[in-house]
This record gives sequence, C-alpha cells and structure tokens, in this order.
Amino acid sequence: MVEKKFAGISLLIIFIYALVISLSENIFFLLACAVLPVLLFFWKKPEGLGALKKINLVNLFMIVTLALTWPNFWEGLIRGLIIAFRVNMVYIVFAALILPQGAAGIYKGLKFLKAPEKIIILILLTMRGIYILNERLDSALISARLRAPGLKGLAKFKVFAYITASILLQGSEKSERVMTAITCRGGFEGFNVEA
Amino acid sequence: MHISEGVLSGEVLISCWAGTCAGLALGLKKTDTKKIVRVAFLSSVFFLASLVNIRIGASSTHLSFLAPMGLILGPVVFPAVFTALLLQGVLFHFGGVLVLGANTFTMAFSALMTYIIFGRAIRESKKIFQAMTFAFIAGAFAVILSASLVGALLGLTDKNFLTAVKILLAAHVPLALIEGAVTSFLISWLKKNSPEFLC
Repeated sequence: MVEKKFAGISLLIIFIYALVISLSENIFFLLACAVLPVLLFFWKKPEGLGALKKINLVNLFMIVTLALTWPNFWEGLIRGLIIAFRVNMVYIVFAALILPQGAAGIYKGLKFLKAPEKIIILILLTMRGIYILNERLDSALISARLRAPGLKGLAKFKVFAYITASILLQGSEKSERVMTAITCRGGFEGFNVEA
Repeated sequence: MHISEGVLSGEVLISCWAGTCAGLALGLKKTDTKKIVRVAFLSSVFFLASLVNIRIGASSTHLSFLAPMGLILGPVVFPAVFTALLLQGVLFHFGGVLVLGANTFTMAFSALMTYIIFGRAIRESKKIFQAMTFAFIAGAFAVILSASLVGALLGLTDKNFLTAVKILLAAHVPLALIEGAVTSFLISWLKKNSPEFLC
C-alpha cells in the first residue's frame, strides 16, 4: 500500500511540476522551479541520467533550429535555451521519482489514482506481450538477414512488413491462449495487478 | 514524431489531455475485457516493430506504424497508443508524463482518422493491388497528419514556431513514403493470409 501511495503521489508530483514549469517564461520563476530537481538530484541521486546526453543532443539541434528560424536570432536562442532548461528539469524529477520504480510503479500509481481497471490490465499485458514477442521478432529479423544479407530498397521494406504482419498473427493467436489461461484461473477477478 | 516536455504551453497541454481522455474513454468503452488481451498483444507487436531501426542512406529512422495500428485496432487505437508511449517513457527514458497527452492525441487521432477514412475502402477492396494503393495513401496520410497536428500545436503555443514547423513537415515527406510502402505490403499480406484481421 505504501508503494502504491508513493507511486501515485510521484505521478501527481511530476504531472503538476511539468505543468507549473510550462506556465511561465520568466527567468526568476524558472530558477525557483529548479529548486525541486536540484533537491531531488542530491537527495535521491537518480541513476537514469545517462539519457540526458541524448536528450541534450536533441536540445542542441532544437536551439540551433529555433535561433535560425525565429524572426530575431537572440529571441529564438533564448526561447530554445528556456525549453532546454525545462526539459532537463522535468527529466531529473522524472528520473528521481518514476524511473526507479519501473513499469510496476506506473501501474501501481495509476491504481492509486483510481484509473480504469481496463487501462491498468492493458499496460500489464502489453508489458508481458513485449517480452514474449520480442524474441520472435528478433529471431525472424535475424533469419531474414542471414537468408538475404545486404537487402536494399523496396525489397527490404517488403520483408520487414511481411515479418511484422506474421508476428501480428502470432501475437493474436498467443493472446487467445493467454485469454483462455486467464479464464481458467478465474477471469480478471483473479488477475493480480499488484504482482 | 514526439514532442518533448517543456515545449508546449500549459493551455495546449491541458486541451490535448482533454482530447486524449475523450479518446481513451471511447476506446475503452468499445473494448470488452476479453478483447483487451488481443489489443495488448497487438500493440506490443507494433511497439516492438517501431523500435527496429531502418537504414536509409547514411542515416537511420524508425517507423511509427500509425496507419496499420488504426486499420487493425480501429477505435481502440487511443488506449493502445497511450500504453505504448507510457511504456516507451519508462523503458527507454524518453518522453514525459504531462506531454504524454499531446503525443497520444497527435498519434492516435491520426491513426483513428486513417481508420475512418480508409478502413472501409481497404476492407472492401476486392483486388489486392487496389487495397495496396489505398494502404499506401493511408500510411503516408497518417504520418503527414500527425506531423501537421504537431505543427498546429506548436503554432498554437507560439506563431514564431511556424518556420521551424515547415522544415519539420518537409523532413517528414520521405518518412511518409516509406511508411506508405510498409503499410501497403503489410496490408497486402494480411489481405491474402488473414483478411478478418482488418477492423
């Protein structure tokens, strides 16, 4: 229950924080908003910050594009920097509160926030589907690559589309078997979303 | 394409959440609990396929599969896209919680519109070539519509974004053609082997 409450409150905090930081472009307001991520950074020491490198590479591209396309170069540059600042701040809060809990945290949080049961079941089953079907898609792609190395152009897209379509069919068949298994175990009433 | 956190204004973000919630409510109403398992497995296939990098010349891209998602899942596409984007945020550390509403809306709405406009035509096409042509247009349409919606949201946030939006739209044209080709092949396979798949 404590975990569920923490996950739910974390989701609410990140939602409200992202909204508040989007409301103003005042530099002092934004600096005041930076207090929460800075505190969380030193308190929680989040581990998932490696993605910030990639995010900031995109930010750099965005800043240059905005500076060059804005009517006034400096205004565009400042706008880009403000957006990049917001992205970094929200991501640190996200990395400190949501990422350590993983996908389990998301559906525990949604359950605490009284989200519809159907969406929670959908998230849970999609997670399981990803793990099960990942292997099949990978092996199909590897075998296609071995059969026809260096495939190019339209033929490559054709092979990829055919593989995806056949995995869709396999996924649909697998889902029928999973549904039968769930029904045998007492239906969704016995479906443990806490597990 | 995704919008990152911190770009859109508060008003736009809240309006998008309203649209997403309406879409989610519609999608969940149309799904009974038994169907959810199928939706979950199909959306996990789309999730996985959209992660595969495809090399085009020197660069590489990944496909969005918006049109096939719309054509196969129909009105249930909103919950499927919402789940996929949520998991993408958690598993690959990309995306955000607040902007999830805008990203879901732009993608799922395009997929839903593709289903509404092209779904029946593709389903009822007697010849494979005819279905493939419609599917090609549908695939390209979904990408262009979603990029245009992203552009519209940026334009609503600040009119000065519009020059950047034009560049963004131009960059989506090659991607739209590739998506069109992949959608067309995928639909032709399903039409031949499992026509009941199309919603």
